[in-house]
Amino acid sequence: MSAEKSEEKDQKQPISPKIRENEKIISNRVGIGSSFDVDVRRLSIQGKEVQFYIVNGLTDTPIAIELLKELMFLDAVEVEQFDVKKQIQNRLTHVQVEFVDNIDDAIKQMLSGLTFLLIDGESEAIVIDVRQYPGRGPEEPDTEKVVRGARDGYTENIIENTGLTRRRIRDERLRNEILQVGKRSKTDICISYIDGVADNDLVNIVKKELENIDIDGLTMADKVVEEYIVKQGYNPFPLVRYTERPDVAATHLFEGHVVVIVDASPSVIIFPTTFFHHVQHAEEYRQAPMIGTFLRWVRFLGMFFSLFILPLWLLFVMQPSLLPPDFDFIGLEESPTIPVFVQIMFGELGIELLRMAAIHTPSPLATALGLVAALLIGEIAIEVGVLSAEVILYVAIGAIGMFASPSYEMGITLKMIRVLLLVAVAAFKVPGIVIATTVMFILVAAIKTLNVPYLWPFLPFYPKALLDTLIRMSVPSKKRRPSIVNPRDVYKQSKA
Amino acid sequence: MISTTVLLFPNFFLFTPGYKMCKKYLLLGMLFFEVISMSQNKNSENQQNQQQDQIPEGVPSMSFPVYVTITGMFGGLIWGIVGYVAFILNFIRVGPAMALMPWALGPWKETWIGQIVGILVISLISIGVAFLYRLLFVKINSIWPGLLFGAGLWIIVFGLLNPMFPGLKSLFNLDINTIITSACIYVVYGLFIGYSISYEYQEQQDERAQQSIQS
Repeated sequence: MSAEKSEEKDQKQPISPKIRENEKIISNRVGIGSSFDVDVRRLSIQGKEVQFYIVNGLTDTPIAIELLKELMFLDAVEVEQFDVKKQIQNRLTHVQVEFVDNIDDAIKQMLSGLTFLLIDGESEAIVIDVRQYPGRGPEEPDTEKVVRGARDGYTENIIENTGLTRRRIRDERLRNEILQVGKRSKTDICISYIDGVADNDLVNIVKKELENIDIDGLTMADKVVEEYIVKQGYNPFPLVRYTERPDVAATHLFEGHVVVIVDASPSVIIFPTTFFHHVQHAEEYRQAPMIGTFLRWVRFLGMFFSLFILPLWLLFVMQPSLLPPDFDFIGLEESPTIPVFVQIMFGELGIELLRMAAIHTPSPLATALGLVAALLIGEIAIEVGVLSAEVILYVAIGAIGMFASPSYEMGITLKMIRVLLLVAVAAFKVPGIVIATTVMFILVAAIKTLNVPYLWPFLPFYPKALLDTLIRMSVPSKKRRPSIVNPRDVYKQSKA
Repeated sequence: MISTTVLLFPNFFLFTPGYKMCKKYLLLGMLFFEVISMSQNKNSENQQNQQQDQIPEGVPSMSFPVYVTITGMFGGLIWGIVGYVAFILNFIRVGPAMALMPWALGPWKETWIGQIVGILVISLISIGVAFLYRLLFVKINSIWPGLLFGAGLWIIVFGLLNPMFPGLKSLFNLDINTIITSACIYVVYGLFIGYSISYEYQEQQDERAQQSIQS
């Protein structure tokens, strides 16, 4: 933790042997007296002054009291010796004790919840980990529920999160490297990977990008990190996969991916990811391979329909001559009072508004919101003639397909692209939809995140890997790790 | 090599239109399997080569020509199917059966059977197309050569080879929907084949470079 950049080391303030001087500097810098949550506790041990610096909101008080008790006990029973520091160190009943020699590091540690004590006449501070962060226990994540399987999820606490991973991977080669990012927030970020499996270059790229982040604070935690690492720009597609499930993260670690955990966020980032990582779900791996395949195909179809059915329908309404003879029934029964395109836009906007409203509505009012949505907007809009029944049907199909995609981010992206396709159809009919789809496909194919093409394994085409995404393979039949992460150890299972 | 002659002059083997359809399928099927078995032979030969070169196990076992063959075949298959869907939706006047147009094959080539045979023929032709790409642009690892390659193919097929397709109007008399849809499919098809081949080539180069560093 005390590892820092070398250029900063020169400016660090050393701890002076005169304890009063130190006290003055520290009080000034962290504002003891003006901030109520930062405090100092003075003791006299073996005739020497000892000062405890503490942030009371982040420390576990019983442990702090235990430490103080021991020191007072030491003062009462032990004979005074030459080296008081050693005596004190001997009595610190905690597993994690460190020394630092400058005030800057000591303060940084204190503000992350550790305590440090200064002894009169010594130029080293003793840092003891008495952290306890306010937080919740592991719960099943809302966005990634499964019918069967583990129900623990990551929390906001980075230490607990590494613990949840470690519980699934007892391998000695699992590495959790921690570093701090953010000039003011000093957020802990942990890079997890399995040494000997993950590609060294990949680990180094991620590490370098993390070290290069120069910002005051990362309050939106993992999202900020993502934007720095994959350089998203204005590309709407989600370029990394988030998960709140430790089993999903552990699976990806075994495959050779790198996982980044950011403190104060329950979702961890999996690098590198492709489009097809966003259409898989843990549920598929809790069911028989055949069932998993079926679920996956239903999901693929759902997403495909969600993207294309509405633009195609609009096209057929505008140009019925395009319909194949067997599909004559598609179209509007009555000629609409409001242009179909406008109706669809109403519908799309309406659903999006409802979704937003549902997030912000407190749960006691959710039923009322549902009533408004279903009855007023649905039924009455048709009766009045603002929306046609068919429009509601197709908009609903699109919306359901979007909700069925396991990645929330991907769902919203698809929705946005659907709206763009609709506009293209309304403006240019067949050329519009064809060109818009082609341009979209080319742009998506051109995306590379951390040197991995976004549409891999479809483009570039790797038949075996593609088969693996189209069909949920049984676990014993998957002997190799995916080649896209460039693993150093290719085999998951021994070859025999 | 037999298969290439079959590929280039199918009318030589199918010159009698009175042939029963099933025989033609049989022939096409044989052709298909011949290509597959050829590629497998190459594959095993190459594995032997790899063992001789003492490349450690675990590197991708597919050799480059096999990869090009398979990519070309699937490229034709996938985008042929897309073309068929576009044809069903009336975005485009000619379906994949266009590949059968130069030959007199009987009325079945206008039906869905013709379309499916057309897709298969396109897959086979695509193998040659993939090797052509390999010849021209294999060293450029980017999406651009693929796109240009696709556009170039479209110009060749719809512009220069137009007289070969009796059912196809000349480029200036085609409707805008057909022009745009076919051009888009060709561009994406070129991208698929081109980008895949260039990427795999680059991967294998990198691997070789790494191995030479290690040894």
